[in-house]
Amino acid sequence: MAAQDPASPPQAGTAPTQAPSSTHASGFVGSNVCRTCHPDVWANFYKNPHFKSIASGKEPAERTGCESCHGPGQTHVQARGGKASIVAFSELAPEKILDNCLRCHAETVSRANIRRSEHTLNDVVCTNCHSIHKSPVPKFLLAKRQIDLCYGCHNDVRAQFSMTFKHRVNEGFMVCTDCHNPHGAPAPTWRMAARPRMTDQAVSNEEPCLKCHTEKRGPFLYEHEPVRVEGCETCHYPHGSTNSRLLRRPVVFTLCLECHNGAGSFGRHNAGILTVTPDHNLADPRYQNCTTCHVRIHGSNADALFMR
Amino acid sequence: MMARHFQFAAVLFAATCWAQQTIAPTTEPVGATRGDNLSDYNIVDSFETGYRFSTVGGSADQYHSTVNFGDGIRLLSSFLTINSKDGHGKYFDELVLTTQGLGNDPYESATLRIQKNRLYRFDMNWRLNDYFNPGLRTGGQLGQHLLDTQYTTQDDDLTLFPQSNVKFFLGYSRGDQNGPALSTVQLFSSQGNEFPIFENVRRLRNEYRIGNEIRLFGIRFNWTRGWEDFKEDSNYSSGLNLGNNLQSPVTLTSFARTEPIHGTSPYWRGSLFGERKHFAVNGRITYTSGQRAFALNENAVGTAAIGFMAAQQILTEGNASRPVTSGNLTLSLFPTSKLTITNQTTVNNIRIDGDSVYAVFNNATETLNYLAFEFLGIRTIANETTLNYQLKRWLSFFGGYQYSDRQIRSNEASTFDGNVFASPSEQSNILHEGQFGLRLKPAKALSILLDGSIGRANGPLTPISERNYQVLGGRVQYKIKPFLLMASTRENYNVNSITLSSYASHSRTHSVNGSWNPRDWFSLDAGYTKLHLNSAGGIDFFALGQFLTGQQSIYISNLHVGTLTARFDLKKRADLFVGYSHTQDTGDGRAAAVGPGIGSSLPVFQAAQTFPVKYLSPMARLSIRITEKIRWNVGYQYYGYNELFLNGEDYRAHTGYTSMLWSF
Repeated sequence: MAAQDPASPPQAGTAPTQAPSSTHASGFVGSNVCRTCHPDVWANFYKNPHFKSIASGKEPAERTGCESCHGPGQTHVQARGGKASIVAFSELAPEKILDNCLRCHAETVSRANIRRSEHTLNDVVCTNCHSIHKSPVPKFLLAKRQIDLCYGCHNDVRAQFSMTFKHRVNEGFMVCTDCHNPHGAPAPTWRMAARPRMTDQAVSNEEPCLKCHTEKRGPFLYEHEPVRVEGCETCHYPHGSTNSRLLRRPVVFTLCLECHNGAGSFGRHNAGILTVTPDHNLADPRYQNCTTCHVRIHGSNADALFMR
Repeated sequence: MMARHFQFAAVLFAATCWAQQTIAPTTEPVGATRGDNLSDYNIVDSFETGYRFSTVGGSADQYHSTVNFGDGIRLLSSFLTINSKDGHGKYFDELVLTTQGLGNDPYESATLRIQKNRLYRFDMNWRLNDYFNPGLRTGGQLGQHLLDTQYTTQDDDLTLFPQSNVKFFLGYSRGDQNGPALSTVQLFSSQGNEFPIFENVRRLRNEYRIGNEIRLFGIRFNWTRGWEDFKEDSNYSSGLNLGNNLQSPVTLTSFARTEPIHGTSPYWRGSLFGERKHFAVNGRITYTSGQRAFALNENAVGTAAIGFMAAQQILTEGNASRPVTSGNLTLSLFPTSKLTITNQTTVNNIRIDGDSVYAVFNNATETLNYLAFEFLGIRTIANETTLNYQLKRWLSFFGGYQYSDRQIRSNEASTFDGNVFASPSEQSNILHEGQFGLRLKPAKALSILLDGSIGRANGPLTPISERNYQVLGGRVQYKIKPFLLMASTRENYNVNSITLSSYASHSRTHSVNGSWNPRDWFSLDAGYTKLHLNSAGGIDFFALGQFLTGQQSIYISNLHVGTLTARFDLKKRADLFVGYSHTQDTGDGRAAAVGPGIGSSLPVFQAAQTFPVKYLSPMARLSIRITEKIRWNVGYQYYGYNELFLNGEDYRAHTGYTSMLWSF
């Protein structure tokens, strides 16, 4: 295996000859011209997913290589460079960056909601997370490791994952996109279809939690309604918690009692949610671990009170 | 030369991205690596192998459930890429293989991507989690729901003709969980006893997918057909068992339960997309017909409350079905280059139905009861419109409105002791939510974001559901090389009050973080976040023979999290990374678990109102270049966990590793 000579970059990514008459007529000069002044970008471009457009040799000039994103280069060449004579992403407004990338990347399931996503509405667009020419990771041209990208803005989420019990994101077992779609997710199929806005769904439109926690998917004949109607976050903090089962409270009985208080018009009967019966003496530690008896709290096929 | 340096740096950075994550992680590149050419391919490879160690004092269970690194030799990470240089490789144009933690780390993974331009792309992702959970033991609870299982998951996706107008998709996913666990069962009567029992967890999920995408007349249509299959045959057992309540005469002599479950969730999904200069439209519809067949056979023999021998058998068998139909239709308009209007309509319909026969035979009562079952349906329709407008180059805003209508219907139709009971009910909730936001960019380096939303619902399902809520947030970022500073704040209030009870939840998050990279050889990152939560919910309950009403469940948390990391590149020979993470919940400020306080007069509620805890972790990693291809690494991380009120779960752990990294 011959080592590369640092003085001469590999002759990789040679662009097929493009039809000069048509390209020059519209100001396109071809990627080989760009290479003359930008050898550092060109040297590794054969590892870039966008190199496919060059390798195919069949794409029209406006969808091939450098000019597919940066626009016609003729003016830029004649001006001997400069950001004013070319589409320079560092100078573009966020919505222009989005439009530019979506010319090719719009029509996919995962990006179907990008126009209404929280990221887009807050000016977080493609180049905030993707580095087209200097990506240090081998997939998706991310500008950093995914966890570092997300934590870069979501410092509060980093704090939640710093708690003792959490999903194993920091350990590398999971990544944020296992549950979230940074390009925007469709309206959730749980709660009121309003929030959360960036939580991705399993292919069959369920909460992403059920992709791994399949045993809690059901269907159960006796569903614990909040699980199906309001979602797992009713009782759990998925990012991190002081409780080993990621519950929203350190102990379980206060969590249960906050709903099971019999008050108001809550519950599916509009008559309050069942309160505990007289044989539950809450002063006795025996009754403070609700799930010791109500083991199948996510749903049961045998018992309406989730005892088995 | 510059290109060469960039290539080395990029590839090496990628290689170290898969270096061990928790113990002294560094995202910065260490040393040089090489990319070698073979024929028309360029190959980059690295692997890091070494020895991990850990010593734990205090609660080993708590350590295993939160950190879980052990001792032994590991392939800590590896990285391989092969790229064709002209995009016309014989069999493939790109191959990427990464691994992490192989050889018995609790978090192992491997990913593979292999593709040939225009012909195929294959992605594989395999993960293993050695999962230990001590059960509910925080705050002195009994636990007993311990899990010591191994969870593996794998996803394989093959795309044929990925760049053409006609693509085909094939996919397979698998997940399985196996291992010992503890569970509990309550037996013989409501005044009986609770018994810890052994559980052997055996769960398996398989999913198969096939799909196709066609682009015709500028519209892309995508369909997927999938079959998900779930099996569980965990079994439960116990021998002589006195139960949790030692004062109770109810005991267990033997217990066995088998409970095979087989579920299938076949589904269809269809999507279409189209984007033109002034509009875009996309939609999708999904139909899933989930079903589960189940059977349960439980035999328990013991002593009942009145001292007689009790023998109880429970048999259950039946089927449950849950067809789910979901659809979205999104229309986006771009009347000008500065204005985007998006409207999305969502429909979601779930129906849970089925049949079940539940039979109990008890030798004490000599009764045989049958119970058949209920129906639950949920239907939600929502419509959301969002407007996003750039007024000036430095000023933009967005606004939106959402209307949601949810209806829940249920019918607890059952037959018990020959009597038929039916209790149909219906509940509905309508939500109006408005959102707004402002984006300012007064200078190139400075950006300011303000946003908020207000929601009003008229019939939330539970007392803690969102009823009258508001969210306000702001973010300021100042970024100018070599400096980045970001500050953000967010408050989330929800008030759900009624006549007899009230629930209010206030959470506030304040965060600031920054990084400073003044030199190539030095960088500094720091962050601080405060998460505040206080909630108060009205509760009614029985205690000491009294029904106590108008009580409150209060929870107050003040979580402070600080992180500090620094990296030094010492004359290109060594890379030193040091960091510190401090997580502390100061609770409501009290020093003792019980005592006069706010909320309930019962000590058990006082102790549950807050949970002060401290979790800190300093770390360091040193990487030294031995030769151009070989580096020696050593890392250390300390974990200290301390609960203020009870210390049974506290632990201290010293963990570390030493390794060799070989790259070419």
